[in-house]
Amino acid sequence: MKRRLFIATSISTALTACAPIGTALNNNAAFHKLLGAAQPLDHALIGTRGLAREYRESDISREFPIDSLPTPTDAAYDDMVARNFSPYRLAIDGAVEHRRTFSLAQLDAMTQSTQITRHDCVEGWSAIAKWSGVRLSDVLALVKPRADARYVVFHCMDRDDQGTPYYESLDLHEAMHPQTILALRFNGAPMPPDHGAPVRLRVPTQLGYKSAKWVKRIEVVGSFAAIYSGKGGYWEDQGYEWYAGI
Amino acid sequence: MQMGRMIYRYAVATRISHWFWVIAFAALVSSGLQIFNAAPFLDASDKSSPAHRVLSIQSPQDGVGTTTLFGHTFTTTGWLGYTDDGMGGRTERAFPGWITIPSYQDLADGRRWHFFFAWIAIAAWLTWVISSAIKGNLREMILCPSDIPKLWPMQAYYLKLRREPPPHGIYNPLQKAAYTLVGFVIAPLVVLTGIALSPGIDAVAQPLTWFFGGRQFARLWHFAGMLLLIGFFIVHTFQVATQGLFNQMRSMITGWYRTSENEATEA
Repeated sequence: MKRRLFIATSISTALTACAPIGTALNNNAAFHKLLGAAQPLDHALIGTRGLAREYRESDISREFPIDSLPTPTDAAYDDMVARNFSPYRLAIDGAVEHRRTFSLAQLDAMTQSTQITRHDCVEGWSAIAKWSGVRLSDVLALVKPRADARYVVFHCMDRDDQGTPYYESLDLHEAMHPQTILALRFNGAPMPPDHGAPVRLRVPTQLGYKSAKWVKRIEVVGSFAAIYSGKGGYWEDQGYEWYAGI
Repeated sequence: MQMGRMIYRYAVATRISHWFWVIAFAALVSSGLQIFNAAPFLDASDKSSPAHRVLSIQSPQDGVGTTTLFGHTFTTTGWLGYTDDGMGGRTERAFPGWITIPSYQDLADGRRWHFFFAWIAIAAWLTWVISSAIKGNLREMILCPSDIPKLWPMQAYYLKLRREPPPHGIYNPLQKAAYTLVGFVIAPLVVLTGIALSPGIDAVAQPLTWFFGGRQFARLWHFAGMLLLIGFFIVHTFQVATQGLFNQMRSMITGWYRTSENEATEA
């Protein structure tokens, strides 16, 4: 009996040691870096291939969670909402041959693409909605990325409570994917402010944090190392993977 | 137990992959619970759907933790829902900090651990399967049709309804059934249900996520698979501890195992 008690105690001690040992290793810079070795492997193996599943109207979620940074509340945004986003301009610049701006009316006049796809949050939940808008590839074709262009960075109007703005990035391959769109409509209606009005990026092949809301400027770059903390996105700067296909 | 002769039971690849598995399993469970905490519910559906909720762990009011399983709610304060925050206090949290990596809530690092050790687990599994297949001793562990009639006699022996175990090789028929089920059914399913959660995988292999009933359903299967593996871990550790702990541990570390008399005649 004593022996069994000893064995049971040893096993429980080993089990409860996992969390403190793991936490200590997690705070070790070299080990933390080693853990990140899986990311390039996952990116190379999975990448962005194929098409996200498209659903029927009846599959649309009745309630779509709002789980982003808060909807902008500054005077300029309120003014745009009040004027149906007529003052809104989407600027596209950086490593492009023709930098230009688009009004909402100009984007509306372009060929629209509609998808009913599932939005997969990094937290674990999923919701299905219908998004319509302009293919990012069509917009990029108008501005013509230069030969040195590698990434497309999305600058957004929302900020966290420290005032840090949201941004995201895709590589050109992901940006040119036929389901990567600048969504202008949500479930058949103009994009509601809480869902990123007037223009929200929609990337159904990756986790939700890539689908940036309230996009105001698209910057084409060769590297995002010099942008904010250099990891390619607001959440990436806080430790999340840049490749969000997993 | 009568002393039999010493046999070289485990090849070096088996022993190394076994201990890598132990480490990876501990890391995957702890980081998996960390990831679960970010959305502490499981739905039997493709999209999230409260109508299909099988399990949810919540804190309905400050200081109270509850767990709802198939519509039945239990108070689990201190254990689940309102528990150890991993920093010396208590907070609204599904699984407690003493069982998650990192112990405090950190989804980004939990994912980092999970995806790293998923590769370690897969690499260990492949090392074991390939090396055993090359050596030809995989069939000693895999349940074959001739073992099936011996399953009940073996169980009867364990239940002390039978004096002698049925004749068998290195592993008895129940061990073979357990290893086959865990190594070749449950563990591969846990990997597949895990990768079915990825939107990038769903795009490239739509039938996979569909097969498990969609993304949330795959998350439910992934969790259920973890529970089965924990169940195997408990039974396995109990058996190792009660059937010659020293001999068992030595054989999985050095490879050398001392057989008992009745095993020796058969092996």
